[in-house]
Amino acid sequence: MSPPPPSQNAPPVLFTVTPQAGVPIYMQLVEQITRMVAGGRLAAGEALPSVRDVAHALVINPMTVSKAYSLLETQGVLARQRGLGMVVALHQPQRLLKSERLNLLRPVLQRAAEEAAQLEIDRDTAVRLFDKILRDKK
Amino acid sequence: MNTNIIEMQSVVKSFTGKLALNRLDFSLASGKIVGLLGRNGAGKSTLMECVLGLRGIQAGTIALCGDDPNALSQATRGRLGYVPQQTDLFGWMTAPQMLSFFKAFYPVWNDNKTNALLDRWSISRTTLISRLSGGEKQRLAIIRALAHEPDVLILDEPVASLDPAGRRDFLRELVDSVIARNATVLFSTHILTDLERVAVDVAMMKSGKILLQAELDTLSAEAVRLTGTEPSLKKLQAYLLTNLVVHGVTATAVARIPAAEQAQLRVQHPEITIEHMSLEDFFIEVTA
Repeated sequence: MSPPPPSQNAPPVLFTVTPQAGVPIYMQLVEQITRMVAGGRLAAGEALPSVRDVAHALVINPMTVSKAYSLLETQGVLARQRGLGMVVALHQPQRLLKSERLNLLRPVLQRAAEEAAQLEIDRDTAVRLFDKILRDKK
Repeated sequence: MNTNIIEMQSVVKSFTGKLALNRLDFSLASGKIVGLLGRNGAGKSTLMECVLGLRGIQAGTIALCGDDPNALSQATRGRLGYVPQQTDLFGWMTAPQMLSFFKAFYPVWNDNKTNALLDRWSISRTTLISRLSGGEKQRLAIIRALAHEPDVLILDEPVASLDPAGRRDFLRELVDSVIARNATVLFSTHILTDLERVAVDVAMMKSGKILLQAELDTLSAEAVRLTGTEPSLKKLQAYLLTNLVVHGVTATAVARIPAAEQAQLRVQHPEITIEHMSLEDFFIEVTA
């Protein structure tokens, strides 16, 4: 993908939030954006949708979006660029190692494990389901 | 400015012997969006009505934008928007008639906004208000409350009679226009997902008191359920918000533990399970 022109920010619908997930909404955004950048779905230099657009599209408080963006800025994932708002930082803190990417995945799986236990789903069945979901993605 | 929009101290309000507000303390800083949670009868509506001077109080003090609620200045009135839980007034008028009646009381009135919202929310301009559905009446009350562009909004269960799509659309209006202009909002609700979307702070009420008031994101990281043996949980007594529920050898309780201390406690007390809870479960248990 070629770098998008200034007016073409990534669409706000790129993100999803789930209230009542037990994870604050700003953290959900932080985790998603971090994953998207690590996985290359958001390219270096690509502009993020404006705070207002994300707030409007997801029907969440603009301050929540700002909070996520600011946190990502301090982590070096995003950078503030005049006229464009937030962009994916050109020089990522460092290309994330596999172990670091695994650490990003861990909290989501941990929550899934908690839910599986609550639903009394045994380990083999849960692992098979995750395996199937991974295969279906391909 | 860091002045408080609402300041309540030791407020007592009773109805024929029943305490509705029990020496309640509450403050709301300018620019905050606070969701007020409480079960039916906790005193949410009474709190709002007392703040607005619609009900007198027996003891304590209340200031709304620095004014005594019983003697609100013209300036303060102009800043306020209020959506009561139920509005059955002005049934003999049509929506545009009612709106133009209210327009006369305010120095600022956004006709574009009211017209756009009447269209967007498909409210008939020719039907008498008494013939509108509960949801339409509620939407109309919201339009009336937003028309003079208030910067302090007090909303008593503003979405109670709206369907999920209507709720979403109201919240979007709140996000786009109200929050964007830095208004202060106090809204009561029992729909936690709505609260989580737009509120920054949450205040939980029980039996006429504010049980806790916290930043939503912080609380959501701190709300946990502890499971372990009774003696082990008693060691964490300081964090517990509910009594221990004991089933045989295991006991469980709801607690609030700062995120940083959770990891430490997991190491110090491996026999205790610390699980995150949704705010809804947390709310239900601490207000039980």
